[in-house]
Amino acid sequence: MVKQSPLHTVHKELGATFTEFAGFEMPLQFSSIKEEHLAVRTSVGLFDVSHMSNVWITGPDAEKLLTVTTLEDAHRIGDNKSQYTAILREDGTIIDDTIFMHLGEKYMIIPNAGMDEIVTDWLNKQAKQHALNASAHNVSDEYVILAVQGPRSQDTLQKLTDIDLKTVGFFGCTDITVADAACIISHTGYTGELGFELQIPLNENVEHVFRKILEAGKEFSIIPIGLGARDTLRLEKCFLLAGNEFEGGRTPLEALLSWAINWDHDFIGKDALLEQKQTGIYRRLTCLECIGKGIPRHGCEVRKDDSKVGVVSSGSLSPCLNKGIALAYVDKEYREVDTILDISIRGKTVQAKVIKPPFVKKDWAKHR
Amino acid sequence: MSNEVREDLKYTDTHEWVKIKDDTAIIGITDHAQSELTDIVFAELPEVGKKVVKGDELCVVESVKSVSEIYTPLTGVVKKVNTALEDAPETINQSPYDKGWLVEIKLENIDETNSLHDAESYRKLL
Repeated sequence: MVKQSPLHTVHKELGATFTEFAGFEMPLQFSSIKEEHLAVRTSVGLFDVSHMSNVWITGPDAEKLLTVTTLEDAHRIGDNKSQYTAILREDGTIIDDTIFMHLGEKYMIIPNAGMDEIVTDWLNKQAKQHALNASAHNVSDEYVILAVQGPRSQDTLQKLTDIDLKTVGFFGCTDITVADAACIISHTGYTGELGFELQIPLNENVEHVFRKILEAGKEFSIIPIGLGARDTLRLEKCFLLAGNEFEGGRTPLEALLSWAINWDHDFIGKDALLEQKQTGIYRRLTCLECIGKGIPRHGCEVRKDDSKVGVVSSGSLSPCLNKGIALAYVDKEYREVDTILDISIRGKTVQAKVIKPPFVKKDWAKHR
Repeated sequence: MSNEVREDLKYTDTHEWVKIKDDTAIIGITDHAQSELTDIVFAELPEVGKKVVKGDELCVVESVKSVSEIYTPLTGVVKKVNTALEDAPETINQSPYDKGWLVEIKLENIDETNSLHDAESYRKLL
């Protein structure tokens, strides 16, 4: 059965068109993807991302469980800090990527849409196998997740809380009251802009919070944002989308996540990564910016001199650059910046150039 | 939602419009179609001289997130394409019935036009 957000009727009222994504019917767009995209880059937008999951990790060994199952040494991540990481299989491929939030004695992780049970089961299985006194509890159905993203996100949310948001800090997290609702705030996002994510328990007045944020952001022309713009915003910043970039089993080395690997601790999949690192021969995610006209899409072939050298995992028009952009898994020999490759789109060839990530640089809005 | 329907045009079930003049037809997508697609960002047009049979793919229009094939409702030879769309595909959104036309075809079988909807019957589909 397809799930809907608790805010579904509010979205309908706001004119959303919907799409099905990982078992959820969520807003695709409210006004237009371009307009929503640019609102987030230049001012502020409000997202309902309740399709994402919520899992609590509790018990005296919670930290150890995260350390053994993720790329990060959780001991390093202090209280009230969030961390981006990934959970691997023994063979080094990614099960899921997630943020974990260190909240006192426990941790909350945010697996991707539809990954809640898989991740919860995996963590509980590993706790047992490693004789750790820790457990994972899937509470995805008990939370709404809202994201407020864009240069004016802090100005918007600050009106609704007594806590000085500056004290939360980038990748900070804390219990907070926003618009009379007790929730968890994390200074994180999926847009590459200043932003915050709120985990709001369903026993709070979620609709009230949603409407209050729209009201508080009115002076900055805040608009609600659908999954369409969420995807283009993350792609411009080269953030990964699980269903696309991890499809078929990819390791963090392949998926441009080497920066997230903390090699100073033992974790599931580490041996496989060390081996892959040593051989060094693998396709790796590469940023391609189209020179010619055309929009690459998921599954398009990447070619060089008539041989296949890669495949597009995510592609779109970049609303900021007004060019086709793509993340593609490309053979080792063709990944150097400025290499010209061909992307095959419906049988036609469009030239593209390898660029250094991200597609849209920091402070794009200031320099346009 | 924008739903303008013009009296002087013929229409298809799949929301293309056709303007017939002697043995040629100009083809575009309706106001309803452009409004459903939103933000058209790319139009791939056929080569002039290409022969197309009713039901063939004629062109492709893309929005940020979607790819939509446009099928020709009539058989003929592509006589002209709206090259202005290559640099300004958003014209299809702004002016679906005028500046945003897609292709002009020299018709091979004028009788095919009989199966198209008139404005009144197209309006009922919306």
